[in-house]
Amino acid sequence: MALIKDRRHSLEHTATPELRFSDWLNEGLSQDLSSTTAVLTNGDDDLPSLLANADKLSMIAVEFEPFADGRGFSMARMLRRAGYEGEIRAVGDVAMDRIDFMQRVGFNAFELRDDQDVTEALTKLGEVSVHFQPSADGQGPAYMV
Amino acid sequence: MYAYNQFDQTLVDQRVEQYRDQTRRYLAGQIPEDEFRILRLMNGLYIQRLAPMLRVAIPYGLMKSTQLRALAQISRTYDKGYGHFTTRQNMQFNWPTLESVPDILADLAKVQMHAIQTSGACIRNTTTDPFAGVSADEIEDTRPWCELIRQWSSLHPEFAYLPRKFKIAVSGSSSDRAASQVHDIGLHLYRNEEGELGFEVLVGGGLGRTPVIGKTVRKFLEPQELLSYLEAVLRVYNLNGRRDNKYKARIKILVNALGVDTFGDMVEAEWALLKDGDLRLPLSEIERVKGFFTGPDYLSNKNAQRNLASTFDEHPAFATWYRQNTRDHKQAGYRIVVVALKNQLQAPGDVSHQQMDGMAGLADEFSFGELRSTHDQNLVLADVAQRDLFDLWHKLQAIGLARANVGTLTDMINCPGLDFCSLANAETLVLSRQINETFDDMDYQYDIGDIQLKISGCINACGHHHVGHIGILGVEKGGKQVYQFTLGGSASDDASLGKTLGRSIEQDQVVVVIGQILDVYVELRETDETFLQLVRRVGFAPFKERVYGTHQRSAA
Ligand code: HEM
Ligand code: SF4
Repeated sequence: MALIKDRRHSLEHTATPELRFSDWLNEGLSQDLSSTTAVLTNGDDDLPSLLANADKLSMIAVEFEPFADGRGFSMARMLRRAGYEGEIRAVGDVAMDRIDFMQRVGFNAFELRDDQDVTEALTKLGEVSVHFQPSADGQGPAYMV
Repeated sequence: MYAYNQFDQTLVDQRVEQYRDQTRRYLAGQIPEDEFRILRLMNGLYIQRLAPMLRVAIPYGLMKSTQLRALAQISRTYDKGYGHFTTRQNMQFNWPTLESVPDILADLAKVQMHAIQTSGACIRNTTTDPFAGVSADEIEDTRPWCELIRQWSSLHPEFAYLPRKFKIAVSGSSSDRAASQVHDIGLHLYRNEEGELGFEVLVGGGLGRTPVIGKTVRKFLEPQELLSYLEAVLRVYNLNGRRDNKYKARIKILVNALGVDTFGDMVEAEWALLKDGDLRLPLSEIERVKGFFTGPDYLSNKNAQRNLASTFDEHPAFATWYRQNTRDHKQAGYRIVVVALKNQLQAPGDVSHQQMDGMAGLADEFSFGELRSTHDQNLVLADVAQRDLFDLWHKLQAIGLARANVGTLTDMINCPGLDFCSLANAETLVLSRQINETFDDMDYQYDIGDIQLKISGCINACGHHHVGHIGILGVEKGGKQVYQFTLGGSASDDASLGKTLGRSIEQDQVVVVIGQILDVYVELRETDETFLQLVRRVGFAPFKERVYGTHQRSAA
């Protein structure tokens, strides 16, 4: 499976974290402030705790499973709004037809499903180049720019 | 009306190409079925019993004559020469092929139209009062606000995978003609005691299998913060709405589970972080959009007016049409004309390509080249000078659209039912045919007066049966199509949900029962009492007695 990161096919593919955010939080691992911790989360986790602890995390992988679970879009948006600057990676059932919206709300990395062609997927970022609403990518409607 | 600039056009054009590529990859086997389903729904494409069905957005029901002509052309080129106006003011085509949809979308884009978000679990076409900007009882024109909502919601990246579809309606006058209380969000534009303009915000209304009247979540919202507040509501819903059961996924279920106060607190908490931010509408942007809705160059009252008294005497049928199908206009000398798409030969809401072309021509000739679709599946020519009415009436007759039945029994709402819809339990179009045949005496209909009959072929309630004065719901029992009656619903400012009358009725008895219900009304009504008022006054007992006391053949 291929990884797109910061709009490029990333060849150094760091593994998707197996550590779940809820385990990290509950098992007191959050006391370790090495700030290289990567966690896996999804919409079932407690979002206020995630937002409160985000600065201790180097990567937050948000799981889309099933793919139509749209909570991850709001999670990324709120993480960026809270000032999180680390990697937000979309994992799970991630296909090229959703990564443009994902990028807009604040994801900067996409672990594509096995059947996805990474070169083709890259052409999907910015396929629609104008936007009617502000989002985490700093772009927005004409009256904003 | 609103006209695209380069920015809008680019968005729609690029969206067409994006969908063209998705269709290509699907046909090449590169997108799994369940995934393509969601992609096509976001462009309004359903796969139905007989063929795909494409729903085209008519934002808040407003269109130019050139757009209606383009729809007529599309129906000729890609469909069977007709289209269907829906209860959400959109147009549906019942017979396009999946392969042709990208070309249809490209044709639509040429006339500033699209099918973006006309289906799927996303923010749908915003609907409003079909008389916005022209009605005599209006507080404020809703159309600029609808356009601002359309823009904000179009391709919103965060809200494309909501728990379920999401519908917003905006009303701006004392009588609610937008059914705003049965929408996920209902917005009421009004002036508070200080005279400031703002929105009352309702959430959690809806029909379907769990009908609910919306509840006020915010009494007064400053207009410049409209989008930030909507975004807060959508975010709370996106994160908290149920995703385990699609029948419990609408926002109404969340609002009921939390209570509107708790839900409102969550929205306020999120909104506190959004207010005064990027989403605050600059006054200049509001003014820019309002500039598209300033109204046409009306003639002076003296030139527009015509004393019609003698014409009425000579042509009683014209007088009847005037009374039934036209409404007061805020501009002296003008009338609003409702064109009923409810004749004896076509399904409610259906229009042939000739009628579309014909209506486009009449809009050019008599109403500044604009038309509107209504949530009760009719068309409106909003700005007709009084002196032109007689001429217009003649020309409407020529295209079979002069039936003077607006607001009467035969001006019913009807979903497509088993004839087209794969979810249906029962036929509905056969009922509208039977009703038209049985109650063909227009004088009888006028005597019955204002009555709203709404028919759905299953519990999804596309025909809004819960809010019909008389509602009919098709159900299946033991392999048979039978129909449940509800009475007393309303989608207006006095919104209420109808209650079930009793056990289901067999198909061939439906018109009999409607007749019995109307007989009870005629016998018991007081002077000027409408059907709905009577039901509210006398309750169900006399109706039950009449329908079930004498009626032996109803289904068990
Ligand atoms: C023929 C294909 C159609 C299908 C498969 C279909 C399907 C559905 C479904 C499943 C729902 C319920 C959704 C929910 O409660 O979340 C629904 C609701 C609705 N449909 Fe349709 N529909 C069709 C045609 C139409 C047509 C032709 C109209 C207009 C005349 C229409 C108007 C509506 C409306 C207004 C609602 C909203 C009711 C509410 O607020 O919950 N539908 N439809
Ligand atoms: S109410 Fe039921 S039968 Fe009618 S269109 Fe909707 S889903 Fe189909």
